[in-house]
Amino acid sequence: MAQVSIGSLSDFPEGTPTFAEADGTRLCIVRVGDKVHAICDDCPHAEASLSEGDFLADDMAVECPLHGSAFNLESGDPDAPPATEAVQVFNVTVDGDTVLVEV
Amino acid sequence: MPIALIVGGGMAGRAAAVTLRRVGYQGEVVLVGDESTPPYDRPPLSKSVIVGTADLDKVIKQTLETYAEDGIELRLGVAVTAADADAKTATLSDGSEIAWDALVIATGCAPREVPIPGLDKPGVFRITRIDEALAIQEVLASGPKRLAIIGGGFIGMEAAAAAVAHGHTATVIEAAPEPMARPLGLTVAERVLQWATDRGVEVLAGVGVEEVLGDDRASGVKLASGDIIDADLVICAIGQVPRLGLAQLLGCAEEAGGVQVDASMQTSVAGVYAVGDIAAFPSKWADEDRIRIEHAAVAIGHGQTAAEHIATGEGLFEDLPSFWSDQGDITLNMVGVARPDDEIIWRGDQDLPACTAFYLREGKLRAAMSVGDMKTLRGVRKLFAAGVSPTAEQLADPDVDLAALAAAG
Ligand SMILES: Cc1cc2nc3c(=O)[nH]c(=O)nc-3n(C[C@H](O)[C@H](O)[C@H](O)COP(=O)(O)OP(=O)(O)OC[C@H]3O[C@@H](n4cnc5c(N)ncnc54)[C@H](O)[C@@H]3O)c2cc1C
Ligand code: FES
Repeated sequence: MAQVSIGSLSDFPEGTPTFAEADGTRLCIVRVGDKVHAICDDCPHAEASLSEGDFLADDMAVECPLHGSAFNLESGDPDAPPATEAVQVFNVTVDGDTVLVEV
Repeated sequence: MPIALIVGGGMAGRAAAVTLRRVGYQGEVVLVGDESTPPYDRPPLSKSVIVGTADLDKVIKQTLETYAEDGIELRLGVAVTAADADAKTATLSDGSEIAWDALVIATGCAPREVPIPGLDKPGVFRITRIDEALAIQEVLASGPKRLAIIGGGFIGMEAAAAAVAHGHTATVIEAAPEPMARPLGLTVAERVLQWATDRGVEVLAGVGVEEVLGDDRASGVKLASGDIIDADLVICAIGQVPRLGLAQLLGCAEEAGGVQVDASMQTSVAGVYAVGDIAAFPSKWADEDRIRIEHAAVAIGHGQTAAEHIATGEGLFEDLPSFWSDQGDITLNMVGVARPDDEIIWRGDQDLPACTAFYLREGKLRAAMSVGDMKTLRGVRKLFAAGVSPTAEQLADPDVDLAALAAAG
């Protein structure tokens, strides 16, 4: 496990899923207030990039743009089909202004 | 130790096996599948697999070794040829016998046989199994091709759209006057057809294929009208029929063209479950006593429910049916149970990028099909969960937030 910087807080607009890459791992990043969440960017169901989906604030989830399963940012679990598997969730720490992801 | 035997390593069968382990089933889990590939997702076959853009490691859900690690015994490349409900045994095509305490039949559908001369020629493909889809991929990989696709259902239309999006040309030939009218209803099907033809798919509807032409290899098809469609390859996608043989041998009751089950997926024969495409199951989302649905999410849900019931004695399938169809850059997402004669209310721009068709029966919302509008579809899911049915005016008005209507009750 390595802590990899993916940029500064201002790179991640509040509530907007944003793509980032850390040591070759494709990530979907969502900043909610001061907290930054990171999940794998590849939808576990088919071929979609979760960072192109919407953030659902009420569910604390990112909705897949292709078929609509929404993945919880803390557990990674999908709320409804067609996805049945959880997406990988990564630990994030914010050091000053720098966002570090454990990959 | 009790034994749960699963027949069929498709989507429902795999879901049953992995769920048995996930919920802590203490017995042996044996899955017998007649395909030699470990269980895989079938939907990508007509989409990304044929055009070579699929990640096959993802399509084939997990490797043989990891099943063993999970305590699931896979017996692949062999079929279950017979089973006995009194003795609780099953006979395999290699002559071996397996005893079982719970039997899950997940045999899916077989491609429908049609009497079109020439379907046995090289260069004619089916698209129901991964080996067939990979054979198509091999042909398409060598440069732009002309495809003649017999059958304008979802699978034929998906294959055509994927091929066209990758530089091939495709002609879909559908005997019925309106492709996809049965699952989508006429008005919605007409739209979907329009989107496909706008993107370069050629669709010939209301005309049958008389024969596949070609001497040593398919070179095209001859239509009942006498017209000839030249092609480098022919894909036959004219539907499928549930494989009921094993359930019939066991004496399971049938209904709606499938194996009758209760909400826990048990058949009329004690200890025998039926899941996936073959199961005729009760659903509060349908008017009929039992329905049969040939879609992936339903199959997976069935497999999970049967497994829970075997392991814990509890578990009911109550999911809202849903499915998707990727046709090139257009993705249809549908929830609910639609009927071809439902009233249709549109929201959004039917010329795309985003619109939703709502299906109403006796004024009540029964299903919705959406393109490019996840928010509306999510709202529909919430409406169903809350048991709220908006008016036609509310559904048609893009400014009406369906999720808010659901929350208001
Ligand atoms: C090309 C294609 C595209 C599709 N696209 C979509 C889509 O976009 N969205 C969607 O929702 N659904 C889609 N579907 C439907 C979905 O894949 C099926 O509903 C689902 O696979 C059904 O699962 P099942 O387990 O019942 O059957 P299957 O997945 O078909 O598995 C049945 C398995 O059992 C095996 N078998 C049969 N008899 C025996 C026996 N006696 N012994 C051992 N093994 C046996 C079969 O060979 C097969 O491997 C698609 C289907 C196809 C073919
Ligand atoms: S690709 Fe994400 S839900 Fe299908």
